[in-house]
Amino acid sequence: MTTEELKALESHKVVDSRGTACPGPLLAVKQAIADVPSGGIMEILSSDAGTKRDVPRWAKKQGHEYLGDFEEAGYFTLYLKKN
Amino acid sequence: MNPNLLRLKMKNHPEEDVVVESLKQRNMSKLVLALTTSSLDKLTNAGVILSGAAAEDMEVDVYVLVNAGQAFVKSQNGNVSGMADTAQSAEKFQQALDQFSTPKWTEFFEMAKDMTSVNVYVCSLAGKVAGGENKEDFIDLVDEIVGIGEYLEGASGADLNITL
Repeated sequence: MTTEELKALESHKVVDSRGTACPGPLLAVKQAIADVPSGGIMEILSSDAGTKRDVPRWAKKQGHEYLGDFEEAGYFTLYLKKN
Repeated sequence: MNPNLLRLKMKNHPEEDVVVESLKQRNMSKLVLALTTSSLDKLTNAGVILSGAAAEDMEVDVYVLVNAGQAFVKSQNGNVSGMADTAQSAEKFQQALDQFSTPKWTEFFEMAKDMTSVNVYVCSLAGKVAGGENKEDFIDLVDEIVGIGEYLEGASGADLNITL
């Protein structure tokens, strides 16, 4: 998905893990996924570069769909769809 | 349950495909983490690895071996200050951890226990060296006091073995 398409998504849950380092963001995502309904979108904010690799890999392994990410204003925004 | 036997059954009972797939999906891989030091850096590493494993839904058995027992005794309350890596000071290391809001090693363990199956076993010699004989002598993270045979058996059956 393009950055514009990602920004247009309606998130059911926003996980703000900016300021924490690995494995903080991944743990936050793992803990918060229960709050997202099936088919819902999770938006993750992270300033940790490792998150860009950890979250897509984790999402794939858990059976969720990774939609994409973009970097803006010094942090990453990632999106996944819960299956 | 032997997955091969299930596959044989499936030939005549295709409806069991679902059962087999479900079992595969629930099959957690297992990490055995052996701790051999009670140093701040190694325990923090253990916590990070443990958290990652928990996020992956891995089943984890932690074996606290000889030197590591000290960190788990109740009187210590999880407070450790020594470093296995002598190239940097504990103070500087802790400052760097704090800068990134890194949880204390015991908090990593607690979070992992909340998320997945994590058992912490203290080798009986580790307990004795640290001044603890019974489970009650250790912090709540500890599940059992075990002999070295349990570690060897657990390690031989694990998908991933890490020693710190």
